[in-house]
Amino acid sequence: MLEVKDLRAGFEGSEIIKGISLSIKAGEVHAIMGPNGSGKSTLAKVLAGHPSYEVTGGEVIYNGENLLEIEPEQRALKGIFMGFQYPVEIPGVNNAEFLRMAYNARQINEGKEELDPLDFDDILTEKMKMLSMEKKYRERNLNDGFSGGEKKKNEILQMAILQPKLAVLDETDSGLDIDALRVVSDGVNKIKSADNALILITHYQRLLEYIQPDYVHVLSQGIIVKSGEKDLALELEAQGYDWLTPTN
Amino acid sequence: MTTTLVDASDQAESALLNLHKKFMSGNRPPEALVPLNEAAIQRFELLKFPHRKHEMYTFVNTKELVSTVFNLPGETVVSKDFIKSHVYPECESSYLVVVDGILNEDLSDNSAIQSSINLVPLKDAVDQPEIKEYLADTIEKENDVFSAINTAFISQGTLIDVAAKKQVEAPLQILHVSTGSASGNVTSHPRILVRLGELAEFKMIVKYVGVQGNYFVNSVMDILVGEQAGVTFSQVQEDATDAWHYSKTRVQQGRNSRVKAVNAFFGNKITRHHFEAHLKDVGAELLLNSVSILNDAEQVHHFVRIHHEAPHTNSTQNFKNIVNDKSRSSVDGTVIVNQGAQQIFSDQLINNLMLSDNAHADNKPNLMIFADDVKCTHGATVGQLDENQLFYLKTRGLSEKVAKELLTKSFAESIVQTIDFPGVVDYLENTLLKKLEA
Ligand SMILES: Nc1ncnc2c1ncn2[C@@H]1O[C@H](COP(=O)(O)OP(=O)(O)O)[C@@H](O)[C@H]1O
Ligand SMILES: [Mg+2]
Repeated sequence: MLEVKDLRAGFEGSEIIKGISLSIKAGEVHAIMGPNGSGKSTLAKVLAGHPSYEVTGGEVIYNGENLLEIEPEQRALKGIFMGFQYPVEIPGVNNAEFLRMAYNARQINEGKEELDPLDFDDILTEKMKMLSMEKKYRERNLNDGFSGGEKKKNEILQMAILQPKLAVLDETDSGLDIDALRVVSDGVNKIKSADNALILITHYQRLLEYIQPDYVHVLSQGIIVKSGEKDLALELEAQGYDWLTPTN
Repeated sequence: MTTTLVDASDQAESALLNLHKKFMSGNRPPEALVPLNEAAIQRFELLKFPHRKHEMYTFVNTKELVSTVFNLPGETVVSKDFIKSHVYPECESSYLVVVDGILNEDLSDNSAIQSSINLVPLKDAVDQPEIKEYLADTIEKENDVFSAINTAFISQGTLIDVAAKKQVEAPLQILHVSTGSASGNVTSHPRILVRLGELAEFKMIVKYVGVQGNYFVNSVMDILVGEQAGVTFSQVQEDATDAWHYSKTRVQQGRNSRVKAVNAFFGNKITRHHFEAHLKDVGAELLLNSVSILNDAEQVHHFVRIHHEAPHTNSTQNFKNIVNDKSRSSVDGTVIVNQGAQQIFSDQLINNLMLSDNAHADNKPNLMIFADDVKCTHGATVGQLDENQLFYLKTRGLSEKVAKELLTKSFAESIVQTIDFPGVVDYLENTLLKKLEA
């Protein structure tokens, strides 16, 4: 599904991602762990197409297409979803209306019929229930004044509505208390299937107790310094990241 | 060089004095108002038209307006359908139509609130010492030449009196209609005075429209808010594009009174709104929000002076302007905290969104504080759309065009949503916000 080959990317001339390779197949869950500042969010934003980051080398192939040449909105329409570490607040945009617009953008792209507010309401109600979200969040403005945890839930709500093929969840666990973490993880597990793939970015292994990764990669100073199966996460939990530093 | 400038403005001043003579001798003003007309024209002669660097007109070029020759409007019939199309649903039986500054009772319907408010023609209202003194006092202190001109040309004017403890359920809409002119230019001077007694509650929607262009509407509204009284109002400026709109809202707030004003501006040749508030007694609270959306060469200028004259008063202001094409907006806003007025809270925020390199948005937020125990903040931004917000929406599959439109609308929507009248909110979403669709 996704082939990342020796990807290099940075910001205003400074290289942050220094040659990352990843191969992700449908049905897989990959965890990317690493200390603060190691480049995890940068990787996520580059995959989603953030205009501030410059790709300086390597390639990213998504279902046979060169992802780096595709506009962010087209990436989304092709099934890529990014759950932001810091979801943006947009006052004045009604949450439910925004969710419906996003849903309909996908529908139109697939040649399907747009849903009116009433029909969309059924979907929204079901997904919000799955995530134990109170009704008031549909009337609120998009992430406006939401707590950290509420924002993260709202990200997963969007994921549940958009049913992506590849989701990149950037520190979705931070800001969630233990109950919310369980609810959100259950939600993600329900969305997960043999047809879609998941990249979980986190620096605690807590989330990985709820969503079982197939592979764990450790990112440090812009490169993957170690890859393994899910036991690696436990090792990291016990020993921290210090023993893993880039060799060059 | 300078002599020709002086000449031009001298000419304009004598043209206005001539128009005033015509107005007085045509015997349009009732006797009881003549002393006000006379005092105000004297005030005008003292203040004179603003020269280029006048501190109240830093961002407003009045040259074209001042050098235009105006006549007084003739009688024009305005159709009931035209009126109906501008009355908001919540005011179906509570609206007053003011045509070129004159209340038109045939076109008005205030049956829903007839028993809760008192409409008094200004000529009778001046029999009340409080009103007479208030008007005399404001003429003497008037520093805005255009408001002085308004008073000089009052031929009617209406006092809307809300008695103590009266809670008026339905909002009152005042619809100011300028009939304009097919050729030449006309000017009108609507004048409204609103007075709320102690503990009274009142809601009001003021709307400005034009039947056709070629006019200058120069309006003044005074709002006297008694102790513990509350007024919520919205002004919608939607004049003809080919017209000038100057207006002044002057608010006097008593102890523990509340004023909430949310205004929306469509702009035209030049719209200038002067908002002056006096928080005169302990506990007075003011919220002033405003949104403008401007295309082409439209202009909207705000001149705001908030006077905190007593301790424990607070004011919050939030201005949002969207400027596209060659349009211009400005906010010149000062909060003044008088000596001895302690425990003041004041917040003023001005945000401008520039959609074109040729558009202009000027800001002059200012604080003048003569007390020490106050919490005053102010800020102004001028910017384009936020890149991170745009990216966020795109990652959800929204196209660049849709995402930009949504963000631009949301910028304005955050003010529109603070309007307490659903009919007005609906209307603005379908008209003002539609100006953003290319
Ligand atoms: N927009 C940006 N501007 C400047 N520096 C940035 C920006 N984004 C990331 N960086 C820098 O790149 C490095 C990696 O950041 P990030 O990808 O956010 O790490 P992580 O998500 O692993 O904590 C950090 O040193 C950070 O300061
Ligand atoms: Mg991060």
